[in-house]
Amino acid sequence: MSVIGQSAPSDVADKSAPEQVVTPVIRRSGIDRTFRSVATSSGVITFVLMGLIGGFLLLKGYDALKVAGWGFLTDSEWAPDQGGKFGIAAILPFTVQIALVALVIAVPVALCTALFITEYAPRKLRRLLTAMIDLLAAVPSLIYGLWGLFYLQPRLITLSKWMANHLSWVPFFHVDDQYGTSLGIFPSSTFVAGVIVSLMVIPICTAVMREVFSQAPPGEREGAMALGGTRWGVVRDVVLPFGRGGIIGGSMLGLGRALGETIAVTLIISPAFTAKWSILDQGSNSIAALIALKFSESSTFGISALMAAGLALFIITLLVNAAASTVVSKSRSGSSTEI
Amino acid sequence: MTSIDITSTDTTRMSSDISLLDPGHQAAGLTANNVACWFGTKKVLEGVNLDMAPGQVTALIGPSGCGKSTFLRTLNRMHELVPSATLAGEILIDGVDIYRGAIPVTDVRRRIGMVFQKPNPFPAMTVAENVLAGLKLSGLKTTRSERDELIESCLSKAGLWNEVKNRLGDPGRALSGGQQQRLCIARSLAVSPQVLLMDEPCSALDPTSTRRIEQTISEISETITVVIVTHNMQQAQRVSHRCAFFLAAENEPGRIVEEGPTKDIFTNPRDSRTNDYVNGRFG
Ligand SMILES: Nc1ncnc2c1ncn2[C@@H]1O[C@H](COP(=O)(O)OP(=O)(O)OP(=O)(O)O)[C@@H](O)[C@H]1O
Ligand SMILES: [Mg+2]
Repeated sequence: MSVIGQSAPSDVADKSAPEQVVTPVIRRSGIDRTFRSVATSSGVITFVLMGLIGGFLLLKGYDALKVAGWGFLTDSEWAPDQGGKFGIAAILPFTVQIALVALVIAVPVALCTALFITEYAPRKLRRLLTAMIDLLAAVPSLIYGLWGLFYLQPRLITLSKWMANHLSWVPFFHVDDQYGTSLGIFPSSTFVAGVIVSLMVIPICTAVMREVFSQAPPGEREGAMALGGTRWGVVRDVVLPFGRGGIIGGSMLGLGRALGETIAVTLIISPAFTAKWSILDQGSNSIAALIALKFSESSTFGISALMAAGLALFIITLLVNAAASTVVSKSRSGSSTEI
Repeated sequence: MTSIDITSTDTTRMSSDISLLDPGHQAAGLTANNVACWFGTKKVLEGVNLDMAPGQVTALIGPSGCGKSTFLRTLNRMHELVPSATLAGEILIDGVDIYRGAIPVTDVRRRIGMVFQKPNPFPAMTVAENVLAGLKLSGLKTTRSERDELIESCLSKAGLWNEVKNRLGDPGRALSGGQQQRLCIARSLAVSPQVLLMDEPCSALDPTSTRRIEQTISEISETITVVIVTHNMQQAQRVSHRCAFFLAAENEPGRIVEEGPTKDIFTNPRDSRTNDYVNGRFG
């Protein structure tokens, strides 16, 4: 042992061998081992399933990807069956636009609803609202789509027109008046599709946020109340800091759902293959809607191209959900005041 | 006896007319008149009359489950936060009814602060922010120098300043349990309460932290009326001027058996049950 080592302040008690780090030995009981293997194999199945889906899409889409090459990422038209170019350069941005419109509407609404339920609603109403939100989250998207198509779409175009007239300095709301701004150009837009998708996303986001907010530590709530805190003060200083992970996680979950939404988008949009900033005028698209629309009329090669597009959607959704679960798991758990 | 409807009428008016750094504020007296409490249909307190004189330390003692915490929580309207809780009787601060009077509930709670049994600092806030949390929560505006002064004075009063003066930016949860409890006391002091309610504030603490907090109680009791629940008879004798002994017979609501100057309760109690309890013979 060196002189420096001996004179180091931490070494007072240790004059012999250097410390050996102990590796704890864990002996598991039978039941523990059984449960462990069941749980592990379930976990493995998830991975296998994901691998199978990804592998399948890659395999089926391979032919098309080989032909298109990098053009798959840079071309915007979609004409694999006519021997033309095909790529996701337009449909991917459209997909993201629809999802973002949905999220911009859904997140604030969901946040306020969740706060109302956990913080302001009387107890009976709270239980009722919680049940209703869970119910809404379970309504099939086709129902939302039909209702949106027949009820909401005609009513939204007035709003679209108003935004086009008054907010056209925002690039997203700028409508080229080459068609004039008759109401006819508004119904099948990214905006309308996004609004309808937001209706399906709101219950999911709300459910996640409500769950997290309701777990805000009662000790901290009472501490804030006892200092003379208003309800809003408690929300701002206790509930929101505690629920930050839930807010982000819920939003990401909603984003995942919005990206993959098929039927409602298919019902609303009129397919377009040129990316654009403006979200109010007709013409939009999404990967899921493209697959739904083209599937039955495609040749083998056309289907391969659709599979490649599906792969792109699969990867994006995976990334979004992975990001969401990291954020949620990193959020603070419990009040950590028990020491 | 009429029962009061205490379904929160959270009047969120802010009164910013008090100067926080003005040490001229006075300790206030609390009076409980014929207080009874229920959780649902279960009556847990009955006929409680108690005068908590300004500038005095009142200790509430009694066996577990006799309603000490419940009573303490009626004193600053924390009781009504329990969904099924109801209350009868009246609580007066300097003669003004805190339930039916004109004082908004947020002001009641700011004037009558509370320290809980389990330390509950805000974990997402730094030590300094924790001290100032009450100001932020009640929307009071302060200047930077006022805030710095307040942080130092409150932490000093709570006996924590020397330990944390170099780590004011650390998160509140990074402190030890005893330090967290003193931080909670500092946090309560920062809003200049006239009364401070403490529910077994030392039950999770080591003897040194306990002494510190007892010292703090003695120091602040000149300007703040203190009501403290404790299971520690020595502590009650050390810190309190007056003492109230609560007792609940089996399946009956709790009552005050005896109340008076601490010295009398411990050396010369009138009731034999008090005598038994303070001498450790039951409870
Ligand atoms: N939230 C609640 N709901 C229903 N009953 C309650 C609730 N809180 C307390 N009680 C009941 O009220 C009675 C008084 O409880 P309280 O907490 O006031 O006792 P305590 O004197 O503070 O006891 P300890 O010394 O153990 O803290 C007990 O019988 C308890 O079971
Ligand atoms: Mg108690």
